[in-house]
Amino acid sequence: MPKPPGWEMMIVWYFFLGGIAGGAYFTAAIADNFGSARDGRVAKIGYLIALPLTALCGLLLTADLGMPTRFLNMMRTFKFWDPMSIGAWAVGIFGLFTFASSVLSFRGSPRAIALRRKVGLVGLFVGFFLASYTGVLLSATALPFWTDARLMGALFLASGASTGMAAISVVMFLTGGSGGPGWGKVKKADRYSMIVELIVLALFLALLGSAARPLTIGHFAPLFWGGLVGLGLIIPLALDLVGHRLKVMGAVSAVLVLVGGFVLRYVVVMSIQS
Amino acid sequence: MAKTLAMFTDTSLCIGCRACQVACKQWNELGAELPEWTGSYQNHHHFTDKTFRLVRFMEEPKPNGEMAWLLMSDVCKHCAQAGCLDACPTGAIHRTEFGTVNINQDICNGCRYCVAACPFGVVSFSHDTGRASKCTFCNDRIHNGLGPACAKACPTESIQFGFRDDLVKKAERRVETLKGMGFKDAQLYGADTKGFLGGLNAFFLLLSKPSTYNLPENPKLPQRNVLVDSLLSLGSALVVGLGALLAFRSRGEGDGDA
Repeated sequence: MPKPPGWEMMIVWYFFLGGIAGGAYFTAAIADNFGSARDGRVAKIGYLIALPLTALCGLLLTADLGMPTRFLNMMRTFKFWDPMSIGAWAVGIFGLFTFASSVLSFRGSPRAIALRRKVGLVGLFVGFFLASYTGVLLSATALPFWTDARLMGALFLASGASTGMAAISVVMFLTGGSGGPGWGKVKKADRYSMIVELIVLALFLALLGSAARPLTIGHFAPLFWGGLVGLGLIIPLALDLVGHRLKVMGAVSAVLVLVGGFVLRYVVVMSIQS
Repeated sequence: MAKTLAMFTDTSLCIGCRACQVACKQWNELGAELPEWTGSYQNHHHFTDKTFRLVRFMEEPKPNGEMAWLLMSDVCKHCAQAGCLDACPTGAIHRTEFGTVNINQDICNGCRYCVAACPFGVVSFSHDTGRASKCTFCNDRIHNGLGPACAKACPTESIQFGFRDDLVKKAERRVETLKGMGFKDAQLYGADTKGFLGGLNAFFLLLSKPSTYNLPENPKLPQRNVLVDSLLSLGSALVVGLGALLAFRSRGEGDGDA
């Protein structure tokens, strides 16, 4: 019988923070390139969220290794069919993009802004990758439920998007920009992402059928239904739709989305390993 | 490449003496472990970082109602299409010139992806060394003209070592013999290179269906999922990206709530 790998809390945190970093970055890059000039603040916040989180991701991944001093051994090979191999490369490359975009966020010259947009336009693909490959990594194992989950990557991507956008909203709210330019757009984008996430989640469960049992019934079920589906998706969507003129409501909803994103990674990783 | 070497474990000859398990421990200097109660003479439940050969003790009811032992000395299958090898991001897991699969302990960094990628639950993480470990096919011995320690120690020739092609022929003859003796469920597991995982370089003769021995009936390569799942992720990225684009696209318009 297949063995669980013993990936626990550090990996749960990595999946969660990597999703936020990827999601915040591609949201920032889209705002930067396709929004109005006044959306620059969204872009800057997104880039600046992605940088420290990506650094933290690298630290978490290294610390979780059995031989942390050998983390560079991941760079000995490049296997395009192996999510762990490309993922290790992607974290490093994404770190470079978040660094460049963050540095350029402090420069106001038209040339720097133009460059930042171009960097973002390329980096957003790495951001999409980072937010989704962790799901494919789990499905490319021999373990039941993980290996049966055709939409794990798609679900992680939608969750990365919604949590990345939620993180941008929370930072905007805390730094006093909640009523300023971009707030409404980030919230709107987050609503779209949550709706996509709900649809993908429904398809995910439908395709899994009885293989979804570790999530849907048993020990982790209350957390899955209550923490992710209820508190993390349906309630924040309802709060947003009812009270989207109220900034506090928007911020509360964003915090709940973040909680839901963490619960998703937690139940997926831990339910078949405990 | 040299001719592929293989181990053929004929479970019909196994007497459950565990000489193979002990020989493996001795030769590979695998440390002692706390025993586990498994309800039979088997120890441990599964492969561990210190148990590379594991004699499984199964019980199956006979037609007359009595219980019969089914014994099987289990080991890493050294799959022709190995999930652990494809999963390894450092290149520590490699295929030798004899077709066996090995973990280079000087390269492994303990990421444990191989543990989750093995369809048989063979690869184990060692908390002592911080690395993954499994049967080496006695790499040191076979490079010096000796068979694996388990095969050498087996007193009934239940474990045989040799060139794969020769062993498969031998195994097929043995199945016919057993069927003639009335063992109607006698079958080979992993002998066929056109079958699952491209064939196993440690293959088995079983007296019952694979699931009786806790073996998957049709093990699959985990990496078969990568392409489809990546494309589905790409689809999700397009939808989400389009949503963000719609939300932010507003050149020349007002900013909604702003």
